[in-house]
Amino acid sequence: MSIFIQQIINGLSIGSIYALMAVGYSLVYSILNFSNFAHGGVIMLGAYFGLYAVTLVGGLPFLGALAVAALLAGLVAVALEKIAYRPLRKRNAPSLYFIISAMGASIFLENLVIVTIGPTFRTYPQMFSAAPIALGNVTISRIDVLMFAIAAISLAVLMFIIEKTKVGLAIRACSFNTKASNLMGVNVNRVIFIIFLLGGMLAGVAGMLFGMRYTVYPQIGVITNKSFIAAVFGGLGSLPGAVVGSLLLGIIETFGAGYIASTYRDLIAFSLLIIILVIRPSGLMGRVTEDKA
Amino acid sequence: MFNWFYIEGILILVGVNLMVVLGLSLLTGFTGLFSFGHAGFMAIGAYVSAVCTLYYHIPFVPAMVLGAAASMVMALIIGYFTLGLKGDYFCIATLGFGESVRLIFDNLDFFGGARGISSIPMITTFELTLVICILAVAALTLLMHSRHGRNMIAIREEELASQAIGIHVFRYKMISFAISAAYAAVGGALYAHYLGYLQPLMFQLTKSTEMTIMVIFGGLGSIGGSVIGAVLLTFLPELLRSFANWRLVFYGAAVVLIMISRPQGLMGGMELTDLWRKFRAGGRKRRGTDVLPDEKKEGGDAA
Amino acid sequence: MMDLRKVVLRLDNVTKTFGGLTAVSHVSFEVKEGEIFGIIGPNGAGKTTLFNLITAVYKPTEGKIIFMKTVLARAAKRDNLFLQPYQVAQAGVARTFQNIRLFKKLTVYDNVLTACHRSADYGLAASFLPRHIPFTKMVLPWGRKLVRQETQLAAKTEELLKMMGLWEYRDMTAANLPYGLQRKLEIARALALEPKLLLLDEPAAGMNPEETHALLGLIREIRDRFHLTVVIIEHHMDLVMNLCDRIYVLNFGQFLAEGVPYEIQNNKDVVEAYLGKEDDAVC
Repeated sequence: MSIFIQQIINGLSIGSIYALMAVGYSLVYSILNFSNFAHGGVIMLGAYFGLYAVTLVGGLPFLGALAVAALLAGLVAVALEKIAYRPLRKRNAPSLYFIISAMGASIFLENLVIVTIGPTFRTYPQMFSAAPIALGNVTISRIDVLMFAIAAISLAVLMFIIEKTKVGLAIRACSFNTKASNLMGVNVNRVIFIIFLLGGMLAGVAGMLFGMRYTVYPQIGVITNKSFIAAVFGGLGSLPGAVVGSLLLGIIETFGAGYIASTYRDLIAFSLLIIILVIRPSGLMGRVTEDKA
Repeated sequence: MFNWFYIEGILILVGVNLMVVLGLSLLTGFTGLFSFGHAGFMAIGAYVSAVCTLYYHIPFVPAMVLGAAASMVMALIIGYFTLGLKGDYFCIATLGFGESVRLIFDNLDFFGGARGISSIPMITTFELTLVICILAVAALTLLMHSRHGRNMIAIREEELASQAIGIHVFRYKMISFAISAAYAAVGGALYAHYLGYLQPLMFQLTKSTEMTIMVIFGGLGSIGGSVIGAVLLTFLPELLRSFANWRLVFYGAAVVLIMISRPQGLMGGMELTDLWRKFRAGGRKRRGTDVLPDEKKEGGDAA
Repeated sequence: MMDLRKVVLRLDNVTKTFGGLTAVSHVSFEVKEGEIFGIIGPNGAGKTTLFNLITAVYKPTEGKIIFMKTVLARAAKRDNLFLQPYQVAQAGVARTFQNIRLFKKLTVYDNVLTACHRSADYGLAASFLPRHIPFTKMVLPWGRKLVRQETQLAAKTEELLKMMGLWEYRDMTAANLPYGLQRKLEIARALALEPKLLLLDEPAAGMNPEETHALLGLIREIRDRFHLTVVIIEHHMDLVMNLCDRIYVLNFGQFLAEGVPYEIQNNKDVVEAYLGKEDDAVC
């Protein structure tokens, strides 16, 4: 029984990181209708930004470093939008062109880091006591608690912005119908700027937390493929869907790795993706659309 | 450095890539479906043919055909479930498929697991690759000049209108996907018997992306463009080898640059024969000209 | 007086709802063989939705659609049957689209040639094989059927393009054609199917009065030449009133009136609800 609870906690902890990454995919998808595969690159940069904020510059405290990572990653995401997507948007290019452009950007970022920083694995310095918290038979590492808490707070802030503020209203309007919102006076370019900024900042947070929990290396972006799966699982374009999908994926993966074999971890995730697409392509909470003639 | 042995190696790689790119060209350029899982089909072709020649001592060509058949069956199964999906979902499903295939090979001991298979007979020669590529280009060109090929192009252009003229869209997408998978598998079989070893890591998502980029670079909807794309983008990184890792940085940047500046690719839907005709015709208006016939000039310019 | 002509198309109590919105509600009518049947109604009345229901782009929520002796769609409580759009087309129903849907990047010629595909039946395997001995005109034995059928398709394409006055534009990219010609090309493409029923969705939209007048003659001509039945959605009242044998008026997705043009022109409901006070709209 205690193993069971242990697995759930581990699953939720990795799931909450997936959630931070997955909402970035969903935010962009909800408005621009394409899968932003460059998001992985932003997450990876976030991990490096955090690392340098902690180790260089006199060593910022944890929260300061987190803020730096979030801000810089947000700026990178915005810059990416300006360079790689805006020209396509102006031309009304099909969404697959966006995907290719995103993949190009992702190759660029990953290799730029390999060339400039190097391909080696790096680790964050120890910032918190490694002693786990024991609750009966179940032990929880402090960093897992921290990850979960920060992810929850960040997501709550995002939800607040989207549900309660004027900017959020504009975002929701655009995700419902971009063209009509534009006609009604919503500045679509600004909305897109904001979603890339928000998505990028969350990516920065996720990257830093992930880097602290595991290690930092240029191919970290690969892990984001799984958060993408989580976003599809929950329903692309739906934020609650992305969060629920991520937590579920985290739990399913941990259980699969625990009870079947840890080497099957990734295979389980990708099989899940295909099964979801076959059974219910719109995901748990996605919108179903009908073709118009 | 530039001896024949080295050049031959690159030329064989060109042929390997060309096979996959031709398959993708049919799927993406002519049928309008994007795939990020062709590395998976390549892997199936490579592994199945390698097992056939290595363990069962089957000659190369039948082994290659078996690999292609296995790949086609897989495509039909995946396609059956996902080709009905709207929008990006098919492309996402192929991405999941490609990664799954790699991870399955990674976990199956029969295929050597993560270590892969080695001491595969090195049968692939430049001559063999050349013959197969010429046949492949010819077959694809002929297909595109038949009613079946035209139906696929119609689907790319306008799916609803294709339905309205009685084209069984789903069936043609399946056919296109299966043929495309077979082409990729042939590429994989050539690859396996050129290198002499296989590892699941060779067939990562980046491989699929690389192939798609070659197709787009050459120009969607152009067989000639695909050939040029495969040749240039296989040779170019080799020439840039001295820049080591920087070449991938340039590569990524180049992809973004192409997408934002010339998304129709080098050939942009034209065939080499069209260019030749244009060149010969000089000023005369031929296929796909944008000018109204002279006597109808007052009909107004195109909207 | 009894009309003994065969019924080509029958809609029986057809309803379509999108979520909570009813686009078409309890529509029933019959179209007789050789008729030109008009469907009119204000914008958003559900006319194009009707076409989409007939061609199986949408599935009806309720009701039956029957073409000749084929059930195209039947939505009853437990007894559902829906054909796919391509099956409807293969059964002999061709259509044009309100917002033109040509194969934009193909030439005018290829647009029609592609649509002729149903007139050939050579297999997939034959398509991969060479047809001629290289650099000669000698046809290889296995290529005979393909070459013969392709020649027929080419002849048919030429005939259709010449009839629609598009032959001299054959090498132009479809997207670059003037608007009126694009509409004509859509009709040519639909005719390539050799349909028995032709659905025209606003064929005169964007045409000037002379072009509209010429179109009127053309539609009659193709009806007679191909023994077609035509259903037409149109806003040009003079075209509808002069061309149609009978007219069905739709308002907010519901039946408003049905009859010969004279009856419709003098129907109080139609004049009030549809034409409003724009008296001059009725010619």
